[in-house]
Amino acid sequence: MKHLKAINNKARLLDKAVAEDRVEEVVAMSAIAGCAATVDPGWEVDAFGGVSSLCQPMESDLYGCADPCWWPAQVPDVMNTYPDWNKDATNSREDWRNLGSVFPGDKL
Amino acid sequence: MKKTMIGGALRRSAAALACLAAGALPAAAANEARPLEPGSEYLMVANYPNNLNVVDLASESVYKTCPLPDAFGPGTTQIAPDRRTAYILNNRFGTIYGIDLDTCRLTFRAEMSQGDNERAKSIASFTVSADGKEVYAVQNPTTIHRDHYRVGAPRFAVYDTRAGLEAKPVRVFPAPRQANIMQAGEDGSVYLAGPNLYKVDVNTGAMTVALPIRDWQRSTHAPLDVLYIWPVQTPTRDFTILYTTAKYQDDKQDMATAEYQYGYLNVNLKSGETEAREFGPLTEIYFTGLRSPKDRNIVYGLLHRLTKYDIAQQKLVQAAELDHTYYTVLSNQAGSRLYLTGTFNDISIHDADTLAKVGQVKLPGGDMSLGTGQVFVR
Repeated sequence: MKHLKAINNKARLLDKAVAEDRVEEVVAMSAIAGCAATVDPGWEVDAFGGVSSLCQPMESDLYGCADPCWWPAQVPDVMNTYPDWNKDATNSREDWRNLGSVFPGDKL
Repeated sequence: MKKTMIGGALRRSAAALACLAAGALPAAAANEARPLEPGSEYLMVANYPNNLNVVDLASESVYKTCPLPDAFGPGTTQIAPDRRTAYILNNRFGTIYGIDLDTCRLTFRAEMSQGDNERAKSIASFTVSADGKEVYAVQNPTTIHRDHYRVGAPRFAVYDTRAGLEAKPVRVFPAPRQANIMQAGEDGSVYLAGPNLYKVDVNTGAMTVALPIRDWQRSTHAPLDVLYIWPVQTPTRDFTILYTTAKYQDDKQDMATAEYQYGYLNVNLKSGETEAREFGPLTEIYFTGLRSPKDRNIVYGLLHRLTKYDIAQQKLVQAAELDHTYYTVLSNQAGSRLYLTGTFNDISIHDADTLAKVGQVKLPGGDMSLGTGQVFVR
């Protein structure tokens, strides 16, 4: 945590818990993947702050991100909420035009 | 609004056309009853819509394709010691299946969820014991209430592989949060990657730190960063996980001048020997790495390029450009060929010395996505 700075209330609460040695009481997400709003670089920008290290082409990384619900803001979550999002596009390289946007009203 | 409706209509039409296309060209099972041949080397890997493919490595062609039940994802596989039973985590991270590769028959099934209103997922966190008698999984349960969800404590569940199609855990122990991939040691223990790399006593649930990750405090280096969800069963029995770090120039620990590095955590599952070290500068990202079966001083890296490092010299010695990104690098037993898997539905085959592309296998069906394939000799 040495190189991270809290900038919102939730992060400040976590900092407070660390300071009070109460980290174990904080209910963290159950796993790093699984519909958490992961803030890793990798989708819009790569780990170096550029774009040359993003997956090539972007479709190659599409289901690797959707299956584990890694970036639920960018790619629909097929793990829980939109399991049929890609049922007509099992081959993302050829079928990507069959993929649409999802909206809360489309929940199954 | 009008624009949206037109878009919606177009989407529906496109979906209807796709259904017709899918009906005309099903990604069907093939050679389901064809048994594997003793002594032959195979690569198994799952893909969309929901298949388990077995590729014959001598002829570099698809040997058979088993259809799988329920839904795809993530398609992480483990080969049993009998080299006949494949275990696969699928059904959207919710179920572990055992498949008899000779017949494509389902022989084992374990639901990660244990109650009606529980939803449990395993984040590629499962393996089979070295004697083939037990399957282990870390399950992350959430109880679904009418007005709220409650995150439960992760658990390390042990299954008897003879339990059939309604397997229930025979032992359950607490597991750390953020538990991830695991591999079984030949001494009966399990090595589990999470906040640290733990050695698990599968009879008592006791966990000791085999290699520290979060707890590896070095004044010379920044804390490790690890993203690794591919439990590859390697010919050398090395359980290898890549990490990145930064080496400080001096005790000021200034990140602005630190040198970014790649390293690996390694447990040899045969000997139990552990090793953690840097092997080169961080200049590009890799999802998987592999110790060469021919030369302990060589480690390969893979994502957008296939690369080779001299570990002792901490130097990138070779790199090959690829047709597209691949996630998982596998090797044959001899260490002469590398198989690039994951993402789309083609396996790229490379010479392990020159890294030159020497072949390709196109799978029936769609993307391999995140799934981990395995190479084995029947």
